[in-house]
Amino acid sequence: METLKSAFDFSDFPRLDISIAGIIAIFLLVFPLFSHSAFAMATMIQFLMFSVYGMGWNTIGGYGGQVDLGKAQYVGIGAYTTAVLLIRWNIPFWFSMPLGVCLAMAWSFIIGYPLFRLKGHYFAIATIATSLVLMDLFSVWEFVGAARGLEISPIKYHYPDFWRLIFKKDIYYYYVILGFFFVGILYVNGFRRSRLGFQLRSIRDNEEMASSLGINVHWAKIKTYAIATAFVSVVGSFHACYIKNIEPQDTMGLDLSILIALMAMLGGAGSLWGPIIGAAVLIPLKSYLKAWLGGAAGLAGIDLVIYAVIIMLISALEPRGIWGIVEKVRRRRWQ
Amino acid sequence: MNTPQLAAGIGILAFRQLSGIAAFHKIVIRFYLGVVDITMTEPILDIRDIRVRYAGLPVIHGLSLTVGQGETVCVVGSNGAGKSTLLRAIMATQRTFEGEILFKGKAIHGLKTEDIVRLGIIYVPEEKMLFGPLSVEENLMLGAYVVQDKQRIQQNLDFVYSLFPRLEERRRQAASTLSGGEQQMVAIGRGLMSNPEMLMLDEPSLGLAPILVDEVLDTVGRLKKEGMTILLVEQNVREALVLADRGYVIQTGKIVAQGSGKELLDSDLFRSAFLGI
Repeated sequence: METLKSAFDFSDFPRLDISIAGIIAIFLLVFPLFSHSAFAMATMIQFLMFSVYGMGWNTIGGYGGQVDLGKAQYVGIGAYTTAVLLIRWNIPFWFSMPLGVCLAMAWSFIIGYPLFRLKGHYFAIATIATSLVLMDLFSVWEFVGAARGLEISPIKYHYPDFWRLIFKKDIYYYYVILGFFFVGILYVNGFRRSRLGFQLRSIRDNEEMASSLGINVHWAKIKTYAIATAFVSVVGSFHACYIKNIEPQDTMGLDLSILIALMAMLGGAGSLWGPIIGAAVLIPLKSYLKAWLGGAAGLAGIDLVIYAVIIMLISALEPRGIWGIVEKVRRRRWQ
Repeated sequence: MNTPQLAAGIGILAFRQLSGIAAFHKIVIRFYLGVVDITMTEPILDIRDIRVRYAGLPVIHGLSLTVGQGETVCVVGSNGAGKSTLLRAIMATQRTFEGEILFKGKAIHGLKTEDIVRLGIIYVPEEKMLFGPLSVEENLMLGAYVVQDKQRIQQNLDFVYSLFPRLEERRRQAASTLSGGEQQMVAIGRGLMSNPEMLMLDEPSLGLAPILVDEVLDTVGRLKKEGMTILLVEQNVREALVLADRGYVIQTGKIVAQGSGKELLDSDLFRSAFLGI
């Protein structure tokens, strides 16, 4: 009960933040009711998916200060569990998704134990390596379609299938991922003030001091790594049903891992709103730049250049991301 | 050898034993052979001939030290003598290569830091190491990590606020915005939040203005009166030795003198090494 109360308690944020968050929440709820293009809807779904990925990364990367560049492997585990169970045994999403979470968390405990013996850059490199090794294994594993991947054929199901998450219209997917998005915000809000949340923040600031307070640093990191894993695995399962075609490169590739970390870092790692802001900036930017500039003759690839420049500018101006800039401006005004 | 002192000490001990008065943790009977001291009670912390290396170089060579229950023991020495390394070795953040460290009779030199904390030793480092973005109260609550009972945590918090009323006024303020003296209060208060059996303070007055140094050492004195066992490493040698029940002088990783605070202050070795007299 106390945990639930803590999840809904936003009293430590300024009123302005809560008002803006409320307006955005209402906008997200009513967005599909207004006229919109399929492209806009797809972009919004991507934004919500990456927000949830970022929230997960933010628990271990932001609050814990452990730069994890291998989160895509858990997207893959979630996506493949859902796809395999649905295609082979017709098991619905609402059963396969929790199973995918359990498998991903079990894997995170297995590799988390040795991984967290490493620190700093060594840890980041090791997370990349584990993700790539898993991707290579899936690329040769025939049971999961090897490099060809798996395809969920929608014609076998009756639309709309809420159990299996098979819909013709994107609006259904939108509301499902919006539900996960709101649950994610509430969870992280409770987490940041939980016992584990405070442990993580103290570990990020000073590991030696944290252990001098009696905190089991290694175990706290492993537990949080598993929580972060659960977030991305849920969205991985959703990804399988939404995209309906999964391949090792798309679901476990390094690009995806880096993009997940970037969302949170750009928006502001270690803040509740950071990953959402990061996704709100990067996803539309990526989609629209690609659509407008990437397709134009002679400008192919320019979208990536602009994208990279924006990231470099924000990183140079404020390493704590966009939310760091907001807080800096706010402090100056108050002073 | 001072035979009358020894005889008196043994006499008191025999009397206490015979009369069944057991609560005399702090009764230490000393006899002096130059600077040799014998603690007659069972020590809560017993360090036996430890050797510690820092960055591969030997820093502590065969150091032995004891702290009795409820005692305030001060370790003094010049910079680089190995005082902080000694505290780190007790907390297992610095590896001990040889020797034994016993706490309440149990060997702790192979344990992890968090397990040592659970046994009741709290270390307040010289750098304070507060969690800057967190508020004063959040920093204090982190100190109560090993305490499960919420009522106990509240009692501890009330005790810390009674010890440092200024912290209660600033409980919602970020720790990084406090003055040096206030940050030291938070660091000590955080240590007290876990009901420690022994508090180890590493240079608590380091970098503080003289008026704040007095304030911090007054606090140590109040904790001593409360019966807290304290192992204090301090650069303000004279004030610290006045405050302490006993003291050790450490030089290049070895104990070179020990005794009561007053005896050390009066000893020739100490006067020449620290006071230049």
